[in-house]
Amino acid sequence: MASLKRIAVGFAVLCLLYTGHALAGNADDEWEREEQQRLQAASQKMIARIDELINAKIVAAEKSPAPLAEDGEFLRRAYLDITGILPSVATTRAYLADSDPDKRLKLIEKLLRSPAYPTHMASTWRNVILKPTDDIQQLQNQFGLQRWLRTQFSENIRYDRLVGEFITATDSDAGPAYFYASLELKPEQLAAETSRIFLGLQMQCAQCHDHPFDEWKQRDFWAYAAFFAQLERNENPLAGRMQTVAIRDRSTGEVMLPDTEEVIAPAFPGSDYGSDSFGGTRRQQLAVWMVARDNPYMPRRAVNWAWSHLFGRGLVNPVDDLSPQNPPSHPELMDELTKFFVKSGFDIKLLLKTIASTEAYARTSRVDTDEEVDLELFQKMAVKSLSPEQLYDSFLRVALLRDPIGQQAAQFLGQQASQDRLRFIARMRTPSDNRMQFETGMPQALALMNGPPVSTATNAATSGLLQSLEAPFLTEAQKIEVLSLAVYSRYPSEDETKRFSQYLLEADDDQKSQALGDVLWAMINSAEFMLNH
Amino acid sequence: MMRRSNSSSMSNFSRRRFLQTSAAALGASSCPWLPQIAQAAAANTEKSKHCVVLWMSGGPTQTDTFDMKPGHANGGSFKPIKTNVPGIEFSEHLPMLAKQANNLAIVRGMNTTEGDHSRGTFLMHTGQRPGSPLLYPTIGSLLSKELGSEDADLPNFVSVNPYEVINQAAFSPGFLGPRYAAATVGARNNIVPNPEDEAGDNDEAGFAELGVDFLSLPDGVSQEQADARLRLWRMQQKSFLSARSAETANAQDTIFRRAVRIMNHDAASAFDLSQETDKVRESYGKGRFGQGCLVARRLIQRGVPFIEVTHGAGGLGWDTHQNNFNTVENLSKELDQGWATLMRELEEEGLLESTTILWMGEFGRTPNINNNTGRDHFPNAWTCVLGGGGIAGGQAYGATSEDGMEVTDGKVEVGDLISTLCQAVGVDPETENISSLARPIKISEGTAVDELLS
Repeated sequence: MASLKRIAVGFAVLCLLYTGHALAGNADDEWEREEQQRLQAASQKMIARIDELINAKIVAAEKSPAPLAEDGEFLRRAYLDITGILPSVATTRAYLADSDPDKRLKLIEKLLRSPAYPTHMASTWRNVILKPTDDIQQLQNQFGLQRWLRTQFSENIRYDRLVGEFITATDSDAGPAYFYASLELKPEQLAAETSRIFLGLQMQCAQCHDHPFDEWKQRDFWAYAAFFAQLERNENPLAGRMQTVAIRDRSTGEVMLPDTEEVIAPAFPGSDYGSDSFGGTRRQQLAVWMVARDNPYMPRRAVNWAWSHLFGRGLVNPVDDLSPQNPPSHPELMDELTKFFVKSGFDIKLLLKTIASTEAYARTSRVDTDEEVDLELFQKMAVKSLSPEQLYDSFLRVALLRDPIGQQAAQFLGQQASQDRLRFIARMRTPSDNRMQFETGMPQALALMNGPPVSTATNAATSGLLQSLEAPFLTEAQKIEVLSLAVYSRYPSEDETKRFSQYLLEADDDQKSQALGDVLWAMINSAEFMLNH
Repeated sequence: MMRRSNSSSMSNFSRRRFLQTSAAALGASSCPWLPQIAQAAAANTEKSKHCVVLWMSGGPTQTDTFDMKPGHANGGSFKPIKTNVPGIEFSEHLPMLAKQANNLAIVRGMNTTEGDHSRGTFLMHTGQRPGSPLLYPTIGSLLSKELGSEDADLPNFVSVNPYEVINQAAFSPGFLGPRYAAATVGARNNIVPNPEDEAGDNDEAGFAELGVDFLSLPDGVSQEQADARLRLWRMQQKSFLSARSAETANAQDTIFRRAVRIMNHDAASAFDLSQETDKVRESYGKGRFGQGCLVARRLIQRGVPFIEVTHGAGGLGWDTHQNNFNTVENLSKELDQGWATLMRELEEEGLLESTTILWMGEFGRTPNINNNTGRDHFPNAWTCVLGGGGIAGGQAYGATSEDGMEVTDGKVEVGDLISTLCQAVGVDPETENISSLARPIKISEGTAVDELLS
């Protein structure tokens, strides 16, 4: 009976996937409003429950949670995590002055509505899906996938639907096709990558041989790979359109166990019912299983990603290894949050909003005691490194610079990036997206200190910020205040004001604005700017 | 297709397993690299090891350099000359190297799988065929990680004149991360020697000027100002770090301080060739390759473990599909001068014994000459050259058939070559690094050629 029910659920999802939004489209406004209220109420309950469970574990470990972050610290963090960019000086001033007790929650809601939110999610997920590259041409191609992702996040497409479309993608304009092409349609590579990306399973280790301590056997791996055995490139009839990739499903093609002639039939990992329970192409069969409400991996993986995106580490760590040997730090929380996510209709935005509204997320990253900090307890906020995109965009935002092709706007529309931006991202790319590590090397540090965009940002002749501070009526202290708000999203400390004022006063008259550039240089090369804390 | 590629990886695996088991069965002393590793470890305490890769971008012709075929129709117009090792002959356009053949081991049996520039470049730099989801690191990143020090004043891996656009992944640190990326040294002026120029050494022009990317201050920033900036910066670091105990924050501080150290005068002067006399600069050749070899010598003197110098006229210079002989003659002159002078000076300084040199390109070139007096891509039977420290010089290892089309003896694959290089510099080729897919990956899975090691 249970399996029948699962099959029924599977077919229901299949209908959702392939008949579009008929149900949602016909719903009337009132139904929609009630549904929203129900979701918000569930979210409120979940927020409280997260803090309850996190705090319980901190108490059990005889530790205490860190105090809440100061306003500037929280504002900066929320901007970087949700929109990938720093707040402007005006935004920061307004937020610091706001006395509304609910301003944190309102900020989170505002940021999730911003057009920068889908842009940031798209570049974040591009990095999850595709291997990082420092090849500029390849990076350019990757932006096709980023555009597709941006559309999904912009419309807050149900996450199960996003996964289903990705797994079954054929359309030449759909970004996912680039993913298939970049792995040359090889079943074993598509298997390794899709299981990592969407299921959080590291099955590729079983590709060549059984692992004594792993649940996955070589046969499981190839049975999963068999779902990708019937792909071919569809030569695009639209001649002249460069870089379009189309793929389609055939009815033939099998995988064989290495070193044997044995054909392996498709089978779902860790599941006891056959792929032929569902109709359609092999990839459609896989999609139906993957997006079923009771799929044991897909929603957990998404929840773990969201948690790690905001906290720097997942409830399961590493973030994409959800094998049974690697249990979550907070098993109950993992289960409840996954259930909430599934019941919400796989709503990624609501999931991020719920986690970002907790006290745990609002804690400071400061450590004022000698007490040893256990990262796994989420006692305080982690100090995360910035992605190359976050860093580049923040430099431009701070110094009021325009990307050469009028790029800020183009970027929000998901257009291709400028050569300068591409070069920077290529140079700064990191092999993993583990933000708990600062992987930048010495050559990159040299480029940051001496090259663009920092050199442009700190030169009085080219920096929009420095030029805006040349107004004669501004005192030294006021200028320093603006720099601090722009770079750190906080007012300068007394020490800083004193130190920097002194430096500005000592400069010759014709060197004043360059001296201000020196202060800006010291600030934006500092750890406080280069990290998300 | 798929199944075949897997079966080959399986057989590698079994062979490796077999070697390990048999070595264990026969006792550790039969394991070929163990004594050398022990030796190297002992030597390491006294003298650091260095490695120089001379990368011949475009694919150098073996038939017109180190594996001549005189008397055969494929031999072409160059004459062989005697070297200082009886029985070994080089091209007439490599006269200076011919006098140092005793320090060189000519590997004539190279046999590889890739005949495309991009794919061959990746294969020879990583030991792996392209197309894997694993981001295999370039050999310079792997070896400099083992040989270098985390807190050196100079970068551990310097790449001079790289022509990376052909395959950026081949030059990248891959899953080791940007910390192990090369600091690149590129041309600072536009003197690009024209390989087809009659005067290949570019007498009219001045010296090629080379510099490290982003090592010097941006335009308009004085040294005094930079010092002031750093004083302010240190205060900012201090106040933030004192209230945080996070790996990321400490790493940021460490790496920036290291970058500041290399910007200081003494470290940066390693790249300043104007400190050399004109006579020395001329002895290397005025072009980018010669001056690049001089940079390599200065860096080795200062303890930098890995330097790659590219020779290819700013592109795929050795890709001689047409007009092979004029082009190769000019490229050879530059090669001969730069490489031979580097070895001579290293030897004079007592540094050659701790510096291993590998000369290679992405593949060789066809022994037969095409209708455009050119030679085409040829990975089937070609030549690499090893020299210097750890290498048993004065030999030609392996051989090709009379027409040069087949390897007849001493076949060497890329993995074997890289494993040999590793051992020559005292690094265990089986050293594992953790890849981005959380899987340990050995530097090289080939079998080192004992006969090439001293």
